[in-house]
Amino acid sequence: MSEPVAGNPVQASDTTNGASAPPPETGATNGSQTPSSAGAPAPGPEPKKLSAAELKKQKQAEKQARRAQAKAAGPPETNPREISAKESQKQVKDSKQASKDGKSKPTPPWRRPSQPTVPVFKDAKKEAKDSTQGKKLPGLFFGHLYTERREHSVTGATKGVHPAVLALGLQYSSYEICGSTARLVAMLLAFKPVIETYETPEGTSLARHFISHQLSPQIDYLRSCRPLSVGMSNAIRWLKDVIIKIDPATAEEDAKRDILSSIDDFIRDRVTVADKLIEEYGEKKIEDGDVILTYAASSIVEKTLIRAHKAGRSFSVIVVDSKPLFEGKRLARKLAYHGLSVKYFLITGASHAVKQASKVFLGAHAMMSNGRLYSRVGTAGVAMLAHAQSLPVIVLCESVKFTERVALDSIVGNELAPAEELLSESERKDMLPLKPYLPSGLLARLGAPEGEGDGEKRAEPGDVVKWIEGAENLQMLQVLYDVTPAEYIDIVVTEHGSLPPTSVPVVQFMSTDKK
Amino acid sequence: MARDMAQAAVTIVTPGLSTFLKSLKTTPVEPSIENFISLLKRRQIRNSRPCAIATTALLHRVVGEFKGRDAGKLIERIREVGRRLVSAQPHEVVVGNIVRRVLGLVREVVDDSKDSETNANSEIAQISQQEQSPSQSAHRPNLSSTISSFSPLKHAAAEPGQLHASRQSEATSESRELLKRPMLSHSYTSIAAGVPMSHSLFGLFSYQDTPSASNTPTGHHSPTGKGGALTSHNLEKLADFSKPNARVDLKAEVMDGIRELQDELEQSDEQIASNALDHIHSNEIILTHTASTSVQRFLLNAARKRKFTVVHAETHPHDHTATHGIVLTGRKRYNEEHDDDDEGSSWKPLIAAGIEVYVIPDSHVFAIMSRVNKVILATHTVLANGGLIAAAGAAMIARAAKEHQTPVVVISGMYKLSPLYPSDTDELIEYGDAGSVVPFEDGEFVDRVDVENPLYDYVPADLVSLYITNLGGHAPSYLYRIVADHYRQEDITL
Repeated sequence: MSEPVAGNPVQASDTTNGASAPPPETGATNGSQTPSSAGAPAPGPEPKKLSAAELKKQKQAEKQARRAQAKAAGPPETNPREISAKESQKQVKDSKQASKDGKSKPTPPWRRPSQPTVPVFKDAKKEAKDSTQGKKLPGLFFGHLYTERREHSVTGATKGVHPAVLALGLQYSSYEICGSTARLVAMLLAFKPVIETYETPEGTSLARHFISHQLSPQIDYLRSCRPLSVGMSNAIRWLKDVIIKIDPATAEEDAKRDILSSIDDFIRDRVTVADKLIEEYGEKKIEDGDVILTYAASSIVEKTLIRAHKAGRSFSVIVVDSKPLFEGKRLARKLAYHGLSVKYFLITGASHAVKQASKVFLGAHAMMSNGRLYSRVGTAGVAMLAHAQSLPVIVLCESVKFTERVALDSIVGNELAPAEELLSESERKDMLPLKPYLPSGLLARLGAPEGEGDGEKRAEPGDVVKWIEGAENLQMLQVLYDVTPAEYIDIVVTEHGSLPPTSVPVVQFMSTDKK
Repeated sequence: MARDMAQAAVTIVTPGLSTFLKSLKTTPVEPSIENFISLLKRRQIRNSRPCAIATTALLHRVVGEFKGRDAGKLIERIREVGRRLVSAQPHEVVVGNIVRRVLGLVREVVDDSKDSETNANSEIAQISQQEQSPSQSAHRPNLSSTISSFSPLKHAAAEPGQLHASRQSEATSESRELLKRPMLSHSYTSIAAGVPMSHSLFGLFSYQDTPSASNTPTGHHSPTGKGGALTSHNLEKLADFSKPNARVDLKAEVMDGIRELQDELEQSDEQIASNALDHIHSNEIILTHTASTSVQRFLLNAARKRKFTVVHAETHPHDHTATHGIVLTGRKRYNEEHDDDDEGSSWKPLIAAGIEVYVIPDSHVFAIMSRVNKVILATHTVLANGGLIAAAGAAMIARAAKEHQTPVVVISGMYKLSPLYPSDTDELIEYGDAGSVVPFEDGEFVDRVDVENPLYDYVPADLVSLYITNLGGHAPSYLYRIVADHYRQEDITL
């Protein structure tokens, strides 16, 4: 939850980008390029190391990005989307000629270390379409979801994205900042320098100009890194509301100070103090001898458990966790460090874990207006098992994460995550001996040059992902959340007190209406 | 053994089913038994099918080496071997199943030869049977403890009373409690004793001369005079058989039976798969889990004619590699064994048959379930009450399916059906290496946190909609009846 620090994550993911993730092409580039590519110089002269076309596109994107940044050195005057679209059209020609030396170009002196490559705006929808070409869609189940490839570098960022936000975006996409409360707070904190460095252009006012020209690019960038959480959307709505309500007559300095202080107030009221209250209420639900089961990791559950432990309550904890994020590991480690007795299960063992538990505490990503809990995928299963055992299921959730949205199942609205995250390095290694048995067509299709004889030795863990991606009819799926039916939930503990899940819309209405 | 070891050392093959089967041909019986026991203990032969194959092969040999014509002694011998095997690895219930099946074979041969003689004493046997039932019901609580004396597991064995369908649901959950209620047990045993429930209706008369088929387990261990008399009567009859009998060659008959059993093991997947088209319709979305050859064959068979979609939960952390293996290549084991059972084209992955396969982590089961039409589970062991032991995660899958009103189909060979009733399901659950959950490199974590890794889940009968075995489809509530057809009451306590 610390303020995002630019540095390592940026560098790291930037370097890995070239290798693992396919090149983040700018939608604008592709939109304009596809029709013209026939006439344009073919990728022939390009060195054919990887997929030549991909390599080229990547280079172009980077090249273009630099140019865009150089041209747009002045204050942004129009919608960056349009600018970059227009510009990129112009630049397609230039960049093609110069694309070979694109990578080796020395870093311009004006670029900050936290900004290794220069942002160009990326049109999400077009990108989504493009990505289907190289990669299979999660068709049947989640075909309707935003299938854009997650941004792992700042290459695709639009100009005008503040370095603090760039860094934050990378921390989102690499799950370094994970958990909806942490993401919410980190976002607000990252917006503070954005506001501080903002200068209202001549002839307009902060209230009118800031949101569309300064705040929106930041939000768009964050969204491209990972879809916004419900808490974040709520906070953004609130922030926009605050800014719009600023009297245009207010001096810029005063206005900025007001916004900054209301951000602080928001974090204090809706998160910090709310957490304190929830901890207090939650702690009362823990009795001596209890075995508290929790799933994955929630900051508020963690705080509540530690607080109860410090209050001298004697209880033990079962952490149920799942791949690929293993968030529960960190929680288990922390709790054990505080001296709690902790058991750790994976979700396959959940039915056994539930048998040993006496209460279930769950964190929330969001509470839906129909009383359903939207939380880390797997939560619903654990809540279901607990409900079947008649264990009380207690959800701890700040009211800032309540939403007016409703959901019936986990399929309509969800966040899709890259499937290759599912296979850890060791799992990939374990699968290597499969190689000789792979369907013959598959390897041929992948264009694996090695013969059958030495195939096994030369196979690398990275290949496994290619097998799966290359295999026809085969897909791996990963979503991040699921929806827990309201009937599995006994209590929702919020800063307004403990409520049944059916009261969520009431609290949601109250907390948004207050303003 | 030594040769086997040498061979293993040369080719660097880890001992397993194939090496055991190879060595079985050349090694004497006693070392073979020891070898199998140690393989079981070291978990080098694991999972139901390899255990079943190895057990049958071993028993085939045991019977082959058996000297003499005394059926009682042969039963005693098989039983003795069986006990050693079962206590070596009580979690592999299938070993006990096979031993019981073979014991049943011996008894059947004995009975058949008896049938041809007069069944003059059948009425007496039945009368004595009825007379004894009240006194035995009082002793029934002994039953579970007598089992536990040689096996670390304390299952309540299938009892005649429990075989009665109307008692089914009560018996499963509170079989022990039931035993303590004299009124109840009295009433239901008398029913059971009056009608020999454990045999098929067609065999009603021909089997009557078997002395108290339904009562023997208790009688066998009962200290009372009547129970003792019954046992001696039983043994007497078996000894009778040891008298030179020109018409039946006991050993040959039993060996034939075992060979049939081996055939059954081999063909069971195929037979199950032949039902596939009756159960899978077009455009279904089918969720399955773990890596199971039976399920794979079943789906492949359906894929010949139908298009459907498979969602495969990967069962991390035990079977995910095998799951990926079966999804990608159609085979789950790639290190050994496959050269034994290479069936060529049958190693075809579903994806090659044009079936779309989606691999999901186990946490996604609930999320996906609303779109799934049918859940097909593989199983480790099926219990007589209709519940099953399956790879960890199955309980969540089955319950999620129940919550979504999605039918749960369990695919299982008959050899996995055990006559055991679970009085304490936790005992049947094997716990695996915690290192596969959290690698031991993370020493600090492993030190501080208690990492548990259950390998199996117990899925209660009410979550299962249908069993598909090599005999066809059955409701879970009917399994007790199939148990009664396959296992002799005398053998339920080994």
